[in-house]
Amino acid sequence: MQAIEYFEVECTEKLGGEYYRQIANDVLLDHNLLRVIHKIHVYIDPKVPIFVAVGVLRKVTTLVKVGDIANVNPQEGKLTLAISDETWLAPMLKIFWDRFGKEHVDQPDRFTVILYGVTAGAREIEEIAIADPSKALYKDLVYALRCICPEGFRVRSENYGAEKFSFVASEDTLTDAGMALLREKFALMGETP
Amino acid sequence: MILVPITYRGGVYRHSEIIDLIEDLGGYIIQKHMIAQEVVLQCFVPKDDVELIRAIGKPLAGEVTDSPLVGTEIAVVSMSLEIHHLPHPSCDIAEYVRRLGAKSNMVGMARGVGKRIAGLNDEERDIINEHDIAVYLLGNFETCIEHKMPVLLRGIEVPVVVCGGPDKEVLQRIVEPKVEGYVGNVGRFMHRTKESEELTKLDEIIAEITRVLSKRREALAKDPLSVSPARLMDVIREQVPAILTVTSPTPLTVQMSGLRVKLPYDTYAEVLRKIEIEDGIKIGDIADIEPSRMRDYIIVRVRPFSETNTVI
Repeated sequence: MQAIEYFEVECTEKLGGEYYRQIANDVLLDHNLLRVIHKIHVYIDPKVPIFVAVGVLRKVTTLVKVGDIANVNPQEGKLTLAISDETWLAPMLKIFWDRFGKEHVDQPDRFTVILYGVTAGAREIEEIAIADPSKALYKDLVYALRCICPEGFRVRSENYGAEKFSFVASEDTLTDAGMALLREKFALMGETP
Repeated sequence: MILVPITYRGGVYRHSEIIDLIEDLGGYIIQKHMIAQEVVLQCFVPKDDVELIRAIGKPLAGEVTDSPLVGTEIAVVSMSLEIHHLPHPSCDIAEYVRRLGAKSNMVGMARGVGKRIAGLNDEERDIINEHDIAVYLLGNFETCIEHKMPVLLRGIEVPVVVCGGPDKEVLQRIVEPKVEGYVGNVGRFMHRTKESEELTKLDEIIAEITRVLSKRREALAKDPLSVSPARLMDVIREQVPAILTVTSPTPLTVQMSGLRVKLPYDTYAEVLRKIEIEDGIKIGDIADIEPSRMRDYIIVRVRPFSETNTVI
């Protein structure tokens, strides 16, 4: 898994900043977002109060295909799939049932799926797309940033683009100064908003 | 007779002998848990008889440990019931104090979060005041804690232990009005407490709670209660059969100076008042029976000797 290239938590309170670094790390890890975030900078000033998170996303990996999660072994009259990653097993089975019919799909154990009497070849099966992880990505990212942000900061301005995201939150009405912080923090990462 | 709180942990086999023994010695069983083949009894027993119980329990694979939190009801006050504060650390701490014998209730505030917007409403205040001690679980920033604590402590009459992200010395400096206990470096976090240093922190919280409760016990001992809440619990259990039908894990929750009875106030308050404890003395003579802010329960507050001139 690729690590985050830039991960900084800046806070006016030293100890508070350390705790928030740990919180950000835990939340991103829990939501499996470390692989999609390229750079992230978090800034918190509880005195103002303001919370800013800016970041750059990695190019999200393409569709998950059968070949990514299983080895397809052609045998006489059947194709045996040895599953290596269960994450996408349910959507894969659903697609097989729709395409080949339930009578042609069997799952004798947790890590094995057998396709009986299908006309498609092994290569063709491997190329079947089963999921699009980028669909859930933005939902997860929005949720994760709201989790990291202190709960009392309920006035938010969020922006999620294809490559970059920004998140500003405060207890009070957001001012231009708060929004200017966004550009400043993007600049720290060597990026522009 | 001085009663001390202990926990007996042993096999189910012949555990009734231990229950009989504790009752015969004049002790009280506060809670009984049957977990698979194990039985856990949280009880008050005479101080001089702890060794006897330990000796009799030994052949039955029983183990007796001191549990200073048995017979206390603790409010774990979380700033909200959102994912930010739950399940870690609020549930971790609530569960940890429960393991040591306390009955813990979690109080999730409606507007405990933030700095300027934080507030405490009358229901929250009254519910916290129904407990023996309140453990406030705060966030990580000094500025926020300093700013909101005067509001969150307004009207709180029970001892408070404050847990927060800053160091203990900082908490002692910034929290106004001053409270009874402080535990630093336990603020908001988003992972389970399983590392050894985190478990040490939980032990530190327990030690602080125990210290504060001991001080409260000392204060109570100077003007003893008219009747022990544990005894009152036994009397109610014997004379109000309806309590046996309550499905709550602790239908009668013993506190340091009272009791929570999980029966409807309107129906049972008068019944409780008229129950005779001994020699014509009724519960209503030595205790205040009030409606609890928690559901429609009853809260019994035992009056001290100085008010009733009676000790039974």
